[in-house]
Amino acid sequence: MTNDETNGIASSERLDAQESPRPEAVGITRRDFMKATAATAAGVAVLGAPAIARAQAQAIKFGLLEDRSGNFAIFGLNKWHGTQLAIKEINEGFTLDGGVQGPGGPGVHAKIAAKPPTQNIKQTVDNGGAQTRDDVVWTESAEYLVKSGEQGVLGRKIELIAPDPQSDNTQFQALARRLILDEKVDVIMAGFASAEREAIRPIMDQNKMLYFYNNQYEGGVADKNTFCTGAVPEQQIVPVMQYMIKNFGPRIYTLAADYNFGQLSAAWTRAMAPLLNAEVIGEEFIPLSVSQFSSSIAKIQQAKPSWLMMYITGQNHSNFYPQANAAGLQFPMGSSINIAQGYEHRRFAPPALNRFHVTASYMEEIPTPRNKLFVKRWRAMFADEPYLAMEGHSAYVATHLYAKAVRLAGTTEKAKVIQALESGIGVEAPAGWVAMDPATHHLSQYIRLARCDEKHDITFMTEWPHIEPWWTRRLGVNLVNKPEYKQYVPDEDPFFKMFGKKK
Amino acid sequence: MSLPYLVSLLYQYADNVAFLLLAALGLMIILGVVDVINLAHGELIMLGAYTTTLAYHRAHLPLPLCMLLSVVGVGAFGMLLERTVIRRFYRDRLGALVATWGISLILSQGTLLLLGPSLIAVPLPDWTVSYGGYSFGAYRLLLFGAAVGVVLLAWWVFYRTRLGVRTRATMQNAEMARAVGVDTRRIYLYTFGAGSALAGLTGALYAPTTTIVPLMGTTFVDVAFITVVVGGGANPILGALTSSALLALISTPLSTALGTFAGRIGLLVAALAIIRFLPRGLSGYFHDLQRRRMAAART
Amino acid sequence: MTEDRPSALSRLNGPQDLGRGPVFWTAFGVVSAALLAFPLVGSPFYLSNLAAFFLYVPMGLGLCLVWGYGGILSFGQAAFFGIGGYLYGVIAQNLAPMPAASLLGLLGAVAGSVLVAALFGYFVFYGQVSAWIIPLLTLVLSLILETFMGQTAGYQWRVGHVLLGGYNGMTGIPSITVGPLEFGGASVALYLLAVAMLLLAYVGLRLFVNSHLGYVVVGIRDDAERTRMLGYDVARTQVVIFALAAGLASLSGVLYVSWGNYVNPSSMGLYAATLPVIWTAVGGRSSLLAVLVSTIALKWLADTLAVRGGEYAFLIMGALLLGTMLFFPLGIVVSLARSWRRRRSVPAGRPEAGRGAGDRRSP
Repeated sequence: MTNDETNGIASSERLDAQESPRPEAVGITRRDFMKATAATAAGVAVLGAPAIARAQAQAIKFGLLEDRSGNFAIFGLNKWHGTQLAIKEINEGFTLDGGVQGPGGPGVHAKIAAKPPTQNIKQTVDNGGAQTRDDVVWTESAEYLVKSGEQGVLGRKIELIAPDPQSDNTQFQALARRLILDEKVDVIMAGFASAEREAIRPIMDQNKMLYFYNNQYEGGVADKNTFCTGAVPEQQIVPVMQYMIKNFGPRIYTLAADYNFGQLSAAWTRAMAPLLNAEVIGEEFIPLSVSQFSSSIAKIQQAKPSWLMMYITGQNHSNFYPQANAAGLQFPMGSSINIAQGYEHRRFAPPALNRFHVTASYMEEIPTPRNKLFVKRWRAMFADEPYLAMEGHSAYVATHLYAKAVRLAGTTEKAKVIQALESGIGVEAPAGWVAMDPATHHLSQYIRLARCDEKHDITFMTEWPHIEPWWTRRLGVNLVNKPEYKQYVPDEDPFFKMFGKKK
Repeated sequence: MSLPYLVSLLYQYADNVAFLLLAALGLMIILGVVDVINLAHGELIMLGAYTTTLAYHRAHLPLPLCMLLSVVGVGAFGMLLERTVIRRFYRDRLGALVATWGISLILSQGTLLLLGPSLIAVPLPDWTVSYGGYSFGAYRLLLFGAAVGVVLLAWWVFYRTRLGVRTRATMQNAEMARAVGVDTRRIYLYTFGAGSALAGLTGALYAPTTTIVPLMGTTFVDVAFITVVVGGGANPILGALTSSALLALISTPLSTALGTFAGRIGLLVAALAIIRFLPRGLSGYFHDLQRRRMAAART
Repeated sequence: MTEDRPSALSRLNGPQDLGRGPVFWTAFGVVSAALLAFPLVGSPFYLSNLAAFFLYVPMGLGLCLVWGYGGILSFGQAAFFGIGGYLYGVIAQNLAPMPAASLLGLLGAVAGSVLVAALFGYFVFYGQVSAWIIPLLTLVLSLILETFMGQTAGYQWRVGHVLLGGYNGMTGIPSITVGPLEFGGASVALYLLAVAMLLLAYVGLRLFVNSHLGYVVVGIRDDAERTRMLGYDVARTQVVIFALAAGLASLSGVLYVSWGNYVNPSSMGLYAATLPVIWTAVGGRSSLLAVLVSTIALKWLADTLAVRGGEYAFLIMGALLLGTMLFFPLGIVVSLARSWRRRRSVPAGRPEAGRGAGDRRSP
C-alpha cells in the first residue's frame, strides 16, 4: 500500500464524518481526548503506584544541550527557555491536552511503502501539502494545558541539567558523553544546527539514549532513538512554493546558504518546481562568511524572476535584506526559515523585509487566543525574551511530549518510552494540534504562511492545519518495525534524481 | 554584453575594491610603519560599527556625527592599546600577533557578554540609482567615494606634511630617524591611532549594511589579511591600492561567473601565487623596481 | 656535548627541553605508569574525557616544534587536523569490509596531510617570505578549507561512496579497529592509545630537537641568514618540520575521529585554529614538556568552563592569552619551571625557610 492510499483512507474517513474537516473529526472529539488522557493517567497511576511510591524522591534527569554562547546563542537561549517553561509546568502539575489517538487517528494508520513509488508523486505532494485553508474553520480552545493529576511525572520531578556547549561540535560530543555516562540522564534534547545533531547522534545510538532534536532542518533523519519535532521540507518548502507560485508567478530564483541546509532546500525547490508548473531560473549559493551582496543583487536583477526563494541563514546573510532594499530590489520573497527563526523583522529597520513570506510552524504573532495565552505565560517567566521563535516552541512541545510518553510508558526506561512515543500521540500545542508520527519519528505540523509588510507587521495569509512528514515514509522508513540509524539525503529518492540536476 | 551589464559589472568591481581597501588600509599602515600585524583589526572594525549603532539608537545623534564618534573613539582606543600592550612587542613581531589575537578574543567575547548577541542595525539609506533595467544602491557608491577619499587623505598626510616625513623616515630606518631627532615612539603611537581610526571608519561606514554582531569583524579580516599579504608592507598606500585593485579584478569576474565561493578561492590562490614570486608583496616589488631604477640612473 | 655521535640516551636527555637527569626521568616514568594504569580505577566516562584531552597533545607538540623551536608561527594545525580526520573517514569507510581498513585510513590520513603541508610549504618557505606572512596565510588556509568543506553538502560531493557531508560533517565513521579490538570513544583501548601517542610524540620530538637536525632548526629560528651562510638548506628544513607538525596534527585528527566517529568543518575554523596557539603560548613555546602540560590543562579548563560557566569560556581564554604574552612571555609553565629551578640552585649555605634535606638533588 502506498502513502497515497493512506491519505486516501484518511480523507474518505473525513468525508464520511461530518462537515468539519478537522483531523479530530476522524472519530475523536475533544471530550474523547480528555477522557482518553484521564483514563490513561488513571491506568498508569494504578499500575505504577508502587513504582511511584518508591521513586518519590528521585528526580527524572533531563539533559539539555543548547548553545548559550557562540554563534547560535540567540537560538539556543530561546529553546532553553522553552524547555524551562515546560518543565516548570510539568512539575507544577500541568500537561498539554491530548494523548494517544487510538485506532483511526492519524499516525497510527501510517502505512509503509514497500519500495519508493515513482508514480503518483504529484498526488503525494498534493496530499501532503495542499490542505490550504483560506479562513479559520474551527475555533480552538484558548486553554491548551490540562491538569496532569500529579506534580512532575510518575511522582518524580524533572530536574534539568543544561551545560553550555558553546556552539562547538566537539563540546557537544564531550558534554553528550558526560550527560550519558556521568550524569546518567533519562533523555537528551540537543542541538540547533544539523552539524551539532550529527556530531552526537552516533554517541546517542552507541548508548541507546533517547534523543530529541527540536529544530527545523533539511529532513531525512531515520533513527530509532531520535525524535524530531521541528519542521521538515515537505512541511514548509512545498506549501510556500504553492502559495508563491499561485500569487506571484512561475519564475523562481533561489538564493541559498552554501551548506547542507541551503543546498538540500534548493534541491527540494528544484524538484518540486516542475510539479507546480514553475521553473527555477537561477540559483546562487553563498558561503556563510559573506556579508556583502552587490554581485548577488546584480545577478538577480539580470535574471528577472517572479519571486525569490530565500534559504539564507546566519548573521552575515541577513545583511542581504537591507542591502537589497537599498538597491531597490522589489521582488517578493519566500522562505522556510527567515523571520520565524531569526526574527529579522524585529532586528532590521523597516522596510527591509517587505514582501517577505514564510511558512512557519510557529510564530509569536499568531493571533489565536491560545497563542496569546502561551505568549503571556512565556513572558511572565522570561520578561526579556527578545522574540518567541519557532524553535523555542518546538522545544516546549517536545518536553511536554516526553512527559506524556513517560506517563504512558509508566517508566523512564528508554526503550519503553520510545515505544510509547510510537503509539501515535497527538497534543494541543500552542500553534495547534500536532502529532508524533510513529513510522518516521517526526511531528506533523500546523503550518501558517506569514507575510511581512513594509512596516514589518505580520499577517497570516493562509494555513495548512495538518501536514504530515511524508517524505521518509516514501523511502520506506518504518522505525516501528525496522529500526534504522541514518539520515537520508534527497539523492536517495529516485524522484529527486529526475529533477535534481543543477543548472 | 550590453552597456547596462557592463555598468553593473563596473559597479560590482568598485564595490569590491572599496571593501578590500577600507578593510585593509588601516592594517597596512600599521604594518608598514610599526611592523606589527594587528590581529585585533577585525574587532576594531566591530567597535566602530557598534559605536555608530549605539550612538544612533541610544543617543539619537545624526548619522554622520555617529560615524565621526566611531573614528575618534576607536582611534583613541587604538592609541591606548599601543601604549599599554603593543609597545612591549616591538622586538617580538610574532608575539605581537599572538597578543593582539588575545585582545581580539577579549573584545569580541566581551562585547557578546555586555551587549548581547546582536543589535538593531542603523537603517540603510535607500538612495537608489537606476540605469537600463538595473538599480544600484547609491550608498555603496558613497562607500567607494569614501575609500578613494581615505586613500587621498593618507597620501596627503604621508607626502605633504611634516608628520608624514617623520613617519616615512621612521619606516625607512628607525635608528637613523631617532638619531636625527624624530620621536619614533610618538610616531608609532600616532600611527597605531590612525590605523585604528581607519578601522573605526570602516566599521562605521559599513554599519548600515550589515548585522551588528560581536563576531562581525571576522568577515572583514579574512579578505583584509589576503590584501595585506599581497600588498606587502614596504609602501602601505601603494600596496593597499594596487593590492585591492588587483584582487578585486580577480574576484569580481569569478564571483559573477561561478559564484561567491569561487571568488574567495580565487583570492587565496592568487595570494599564494603572488607570494611565491613576489615575496615582499606588490609594494615591495615596486619598491625594488624603484631602487633599481635609481641605481641605474646613477651609473 | 663532546661526543661525536651522541647516544640516543644522551639525546633524550639533551638540553633542548625542560627537565633532565635521573630524577626527572623517574618522575616521568612514574606519571606515565600511572596514566597507563588508570583504567584499572577509572570509570568509562573519565577514560573517555581524559582521552579527549590527551589526543590533542600531538597537535600541540607539533606547533611547539614549528613555532617554539623553528620560529614559524602556524595557524594551520587545525587545518591538518581536519584533513587527517576527513581522509581517515573517506579511506576507512571506502575500504570498510577489509580488516585493515582503519589502519590504512590512519596511514593515508597522515601521509595525505604531510603531502599537503609539503606543497603549501614549498610555496611559502622557498619564497623566503617575511615572518608575518606565514601566520596570516595559514590562518586563511584554515578558513578557506573550512568554507570549502562546508559547501560539500550535495550528493555529488562524495569520494567512493562516502559523502563529505558539508557543514553537517561526515558522520558514522568507524573507530580504529585492529582485529577484535575497537578503539571507540569510551573504550579502554582508545584511552591507552591516546596515552601511548602522547608519550611517543613527546619522546620522539624530544629526540628530534636534541639531534643534529634539531639544532639546525633552532639555528634557523635564531638567525636564518647565518644558518644559510653555514651551508644548511634552510627552506628544506622548514618544509620538513612544517610537514612533521602537520603529520602530528593529522594524527590527533584521526584519534579524534576514532573517539567521536564524526568530523566536520568547524574543526578547521577560526577558534579551532587559535586553540593550539593558545596552548603553546600559555605553556611556553620553548619547551615541549611545557606545551604537553598546558595542552592538557587548558583542554581540561575549557571542559570545566563548559559545564559551569560557558559564556565566559572564550573571554577567559583570550585574557589568558593576553596575560601570558604580557606577564609570562616565556609561557606560564616555563616561567614556573625556571623560577623553581632558580630557587633550587641557591647555594646550600644560605638558610631558607621551609627547605629541608631533600634538596640534595642535582640541578
